[in-house]
Amino acid sequence: MTADRPRVAVTGLGLVTPLGHDAPSTWRALLAGRSGVAPITLFDAGGFPVRIAAEVKGFDPRLRIDDRRLLQLAGRAHGFALVAADEALADAGIRPDAASASRWGCVVGSGMLGVEFSGLVDFHSRYAPQGELEPERLFAPQAPRLDPIAFQRSHPSTGLALLLERFGIRGHAASVHTACASGGQAIGMGLELIRRGVCDRVLAGGFDSMVSPVGLGGFCLLGALSPDNRAPERASRPFDRSRNGFVLGEGAGFVVLEEWRAARARRATIYAELAGQGSSLTGYRITDPHPSGDGPIQAMRRALADARAVPGELDYVNAHGTSTPMNDRSECAALHTVLGPEAARVAVSSTKSSMGHLISAAGAVEAALCALAIRDSLLPVNANLAARDPECDLSFVEGEPRPLRVRLALSNSFGFGGSNSCLALRRPEDARP
Amino acid sequence: MSERVVVTGMGAICASGDRPEAIWAEIVGRRSSLGPIRQWETAGLEVPYAGEVAGFDPASLVTERKAHKLLRRGDFLGLYAAGASLRGSCLLEHRAGLARERAAELDERTGVFVASGGVGYQHQHDFLPLLTAAGGDLQRFGRELDGEVSPLWLLQSLPNNVLCHLGIQTGFRGPNACITAHGASGGLAAAEGLAAIRSGEAERAVVVGHDAPIEPQAIRELDDLGLLGRDVLRPFDAWRGGTLLGEGAAALVLESEAIARERGAAVLGELLGSGCAAEAEGLLAVRDDGDGPARAISAALADAELGRDEIGMIVAHGSGTRQGDLSEALALRSVFGDAVPPVTAFKWAFGHTLAAAGALDLVLAILALHAGCAPGIATLRELDADCAGLPASPDTRPACGDCALVLARGFAGLNVALVVQAPGPGF
Repeated sequence: MTADRPRVAVTGLGLVTPLGHDAPSTWRALLAGRSGVAPITLFDAGGFPVRIAAEVKGFDPRLRIDDRRLLQLAGRAHGFALVAADEALADAGIRPDAASASRWGCVVGSGMLGVEFSGLVDFHSRYAPQGELEPERLFAPQAPRLDPIAFQRSHPSTGLALLLERFGIRGHAASVHTACASGGQAIGMGLELIRRGVCDRVLAGGFDSMVSPVGLGGFCLLGALSPDNRAPERASRPFDRSRNGFVLGEGAGFVVLEEWRAARARRATIYAELAGQGSSLTGYRITDPHPSGDGPIQAMRRALADARAVPGELDYVNAHGTSTPMNDRSECAALHTVLGPEAARVAVSSTKSSMGHLISAAGAVEAALCALAIRDSLLPVNANLAARDPECDLSFVEGEPRPLRVRLALSNSFGFGGSNSCLALRRPEDARP
Repeated sequence: MSERVVVTGMGAICASGDRPEAIWAEIVGRRSSLGPIRQWETAGLEVPYAGEVAGFDPASLVTERKAHKLLRRGDFLGLYAAGASLRGSCLLEHRAGLARERAAELDERTGVFVASGGVGYQHQHDFLPLLTAAGGDLQRFGRELDGEVSPLWLLQSLPNNVLCHLGIQTGFRGPNACITAHGASGGLAAAEGLAAIRSGEAERAVVVGHDAPIEPQAIRELDDLGLLGRDVLRPFDAWRGGTLLGEGAAALVLESEAIARERGAAVLGELLGSGCAAEAEGLLAVRDDGDGPARAISAALADAELGRDEIGMIVAHGSGTRQGDLSEALALRSVFGDAVPPVTAFKWAFGHTLAAAGALDLVLAILALHAGCAPGIATLRELDADCAGLPASPDTRPACGDCALVLARGFAGLNVALVVQAPGPGF
């Protein structure tokens, strides 16, 4: 770590969430205390044990992306990504052009499920009507060619490909997946690309949609979701004593990261300094966090050290706070270990209480919310905290958004598989030379 | 001055063998391991050849039996290669000899960077029996989930499974990532490991690339797109007919030079630099002019602080597709002019292993540097006239220096270049 490493500014935000189709409407709805959780409408979930989710409602990417050919190749989550990324670039007031394209990077946390359910149903009826793939049907010389558009819509690299093509980004590019940590890790990698001098600007974020029969089915089988079908708005209640699982959400979040002096030179509005990132591996169990918070502890400590900050400067933590019994308790233990006596002061909320868990998009969306909290000196609530778990003893933002001048905020994201991400965002006027 | 980064352990498995040296022997012996697919029923139909791991045996690949029910074919390969690279590096033996706090510190300072093929078609095909049972009724689909699909389905399908299980097996707790960027992934994972050590975020990193893409639907899709050949993969050949898929994995233990020296580790090579460039023209498009690979190569040379005349050998991506090989040849010519060093490629022997390819080619490039030669591309018969002047040959030629440039390319127009050096007398 050299003393003169480049600083990195967050100069643009874009969101597509269950609370709104852009960052301003998402932020307003969040501050107004609205919930994005409701009965599932995207398909008939009547037979599933869980029938609620935080869907992006009434979404039409054509309203923002005027390229029908491109959108034809985009699955639902790719549409979220294109729209949120376009908003982030518009918000930053800068886009790649021929001269700068190779100095722009793009890192995305992309969801694990590519194949759309309709594609799977189609494949089943053609090649596996009895439930087992019949190669003689698939490879029959007279079998019709497969649809190249369906292939593209379902390929794991399509989200990244569409973003690069649409916005003309030609430098370092990658897609990553560490389950629920994906979006946070993508932004952390974007930060490092600018520090290394590989890029001047990076479009970084995450996108996901698992609100499908296969995605919902996968989580139902694991028993990870809240089964509170009758009270959808109350179902996601991180840190509450009665919490019983997370609520599946969908959406996208993107930020524009920019080398600090370049951002200042063009008089960009700077939301925050992306001051540090911490990445760690838990190595305990696949879905369960370590009860002590081992793993998340290192991610937060690394993010603070990377930001050259101490817990005394920290004012807000956007918690991973999934509303599962294990995660929330373990995250609280980790926060106590990292913050020590400051734990009584530092404000904490999980915005998953309002918008559900956006899986690969969650870390990116929540980092953007931290930037908005810094800008407006206003902390979003941890909704549905009726009876706090006595084991979760932190200063939660309850009831109403809390006015507070935030010097430093952390955004936590911990994934199935044990990858942990923590991002540190600093108030721009507090950024150090 | 950033840290120098050396390679202290390597493991690999693919159709050509289950150790780097065994794979190398097949390549210099000019033997291709591509053949008819055996892991699923082809019903006597004409299906493109592929590079399958012979005698695939989960129990011998991953001894940790508890994990077996959570792993897929590609995960077994990745964990096997990672284990082999760790054994080669003697890192775990070194840790065992440390005091407890020092061992814990080693774990905290060891990163893991995995390149993964992501969720294959077969993961989602696990839902095919349920679709039949449901008979088109989505409510029944929901009600009968429990009986038809494994409760562990989601955990078996995580793209980051190798990262997860390697963390559990080793206790390494450092910075990590799982790259899911198709054929560029292996190169990107190595680049991330290099960067993490240089910045001081980690002292060492395990880099793994793994993929098992030989799936019926994938073969059919890629064939329909015109990307697959039939039975021979001929990089840069006038009559090349496309690529062929392979499965495999490779892993490298990277360490800061200082820390490797301190523990007396044997150094196999030094990773000098990396570069990445995107072409931004869609999922499948490849520019004709080689713009992307040319910029990736230039970036890697600059990162390595090397002149182009210091590269002794090129390990090309050489996947055997019309446009891929041609654009790569043009990129090499645009960077190296008339002085392109000997060009080799390895996919002809074991197929295109997609997310594993960059890591596998990096491991083999190090062996090529040890041997001081660019092995011949055995299937190359007649160099494509459009690649005229490219020093790719069916015959083995001496390398003209102790550094190799390795290329990895993937969908979304991604191009990664890595520069690696043979260990000098100083090691």
